[in-house]
Amino acid sequence: MTYRQNDHRGPGRRRFLTTAALSGVTIVGATALGGIDADAAFASEPSLDPAIPESSFVEGRITGITGSVLQVAGSYGDHARVRMTNATSVWKARPTTAAEIEVGDGLYARGVPMPDGTVAADAVWVNIVNLDTRIRGIAKSRLHLSHGRHEIVGHVLPDTTNASYAGRALTSDLSRLRIGQSAQVLGAWRPADDSVDIVRISVGH
Amino acid sequence: MLSLTTHLMPLVLAGLLGWSGSVKLFRRDTVRQAPRTALARMLRSSGRAALVLRAVGALELLLTAGLLALPASPVPGAATAVLGAGFLAYLGYGRALAPESSCGCSANEDTPITWRAFARAAVVLAGGATAAAAHGAWWSTLSARPGGSLLFLAVAAVVLTALSVDPDRWWLLPLRRLGLRVRGHPLFGTGRGDHVPVAASVELLERSLAWQTASPVVRSGLLDHWEEDGWRILLYSGVHGTRKEARPVSVLFALDATAGRDSPGEPVVRVSCVDADSGEPVAQEVLNAVPVRRALPTVG
Repeated sequence: MTYRQNDHRGPGRRRFLTTAALSGVTIVGATALGGIDADAAFASEPSLDPAIPESSFVEGRITGITGSVLQVAGSYGDHARVRMTNATSVWKARPTTAAEIEVGDGLYARGVPMPDGTVAADAVWVNIVNLDTRIRGIAKSRLHLSHGRHEIVGHVLPDTTNASYAGRALTSDLSRLRIGQSAQVLGAWRPADDSVDIVRISVGH
Repeated sequence: MLSLTTHLMPLVLAGLLGWSGSVKLFRRDTVRQAPRTALARMLRSSGRAALVLRAVGALELLLTAGLLALPASPVPGAATAVLGAGFLAYLGYGRALAPESSCGCSANEDTPITWRAFARAAVVLAGGATAAAAHGAWWSTLSARPGGSLLFLAVAAVVLTALSVDPDRWWLLPLRRLGLRVRGHPLFGTGRGDHVPVAASVELLERSLAWQTASPVVRSGLLDHWEEDGWRILLYSGVHGTRKEARPVSVLFALDATAGRDSPGEPVVRVSCVDADSGEPVAQEVLNAVPVRRALPTVG
């Protein structure tokens, strides 16, 4: 049987992977340790994973895309080249593919430095923002938020926007959001109009 | 109506300038806010900006007194119009120079320069010109036509309040809250029954012992996810082995698609590692070595 990772979205591969997943080891139990998904772009705790210290971190705006390499201008005047591989995860409001990445997007990437000077990315988070806001208005498809002195429009995306109330599990039910509440928003910034696609909104935390 | 507007305009302007002038002159916030204003950028000094803000506040109070005491004289009205023109010029310059700065219009505002600041300055300019053209005293109009006067003043107060950013929380948010109560919550019905979002499954996974066990292998974020037979499959990529023996692997987690962090009981996760090229199961030794560090059981 042959298997290639870059085809993981095909139905045949999924079936194969489902079989592999269900025949795996069953592990029962909870731990207090966090993960390395979207939030991890902002995590400051050192990882317990011995592989992670080898990783390097790239942050900035994408100024050009050449094949599978992203040119990144860092916020502090530095430059980096990020190489996308078949195994790189891409987050842009949701798990997606490198085809969604555009010039002008903001980027956080974690990866391994290569001898040619590029960083082979393990994970890339595009336009990710984490904002401390207050809800100032609620409409059918958007929330009006204030972040310090800035007014921000937060788009509500069907099937993507989730809420967490008082530290409870994420739910797609957004009807318990109230005007005036203080809210932590994890989302994807839209460079075109400076608005934000809301991925997760936490209130009462 | 026109004469009512002309005669009562000094009173309206006195109210606006009296409020903004006293805020600028007497509030301690002026010093705290000064560094954030466009004025501080123009003068290249927060100290000078605070001083200028206080001076403008004093000028506004002086004009307030003039507008109230000398309604027949064109001088206070003309001076107010000049002040309004000055505000407009400052706002235009400030917007071009430092669009993110606060305008410092009432010194306790913390919002960037918006159209409302421009509209308020335009009201000061137009109102000043109108007041300069007035010949009668506002108190005689007030006593001659009390009903119309009160209505005009009430409308003027509403307009000026709407143009001031500060009182937003006193009227805009309660109004929106009321709107939600009357029309119903616009996001009602967004929750799809007991459907658990993928993000909630990821959250549950990341707090599971299975995640901790597989974490030495996992390198990527979530690559893909799908559901099959009540299972939610989460796919990650990773690396197994070190140095020359390092192999790219796919790490697969299978969870109950209806389980979330709030579900009772411990999370049950099936974990599997397969070689990215051959599809052969690998890293069994990692997955079988469940770490001893577990969450402390909670005493009920």
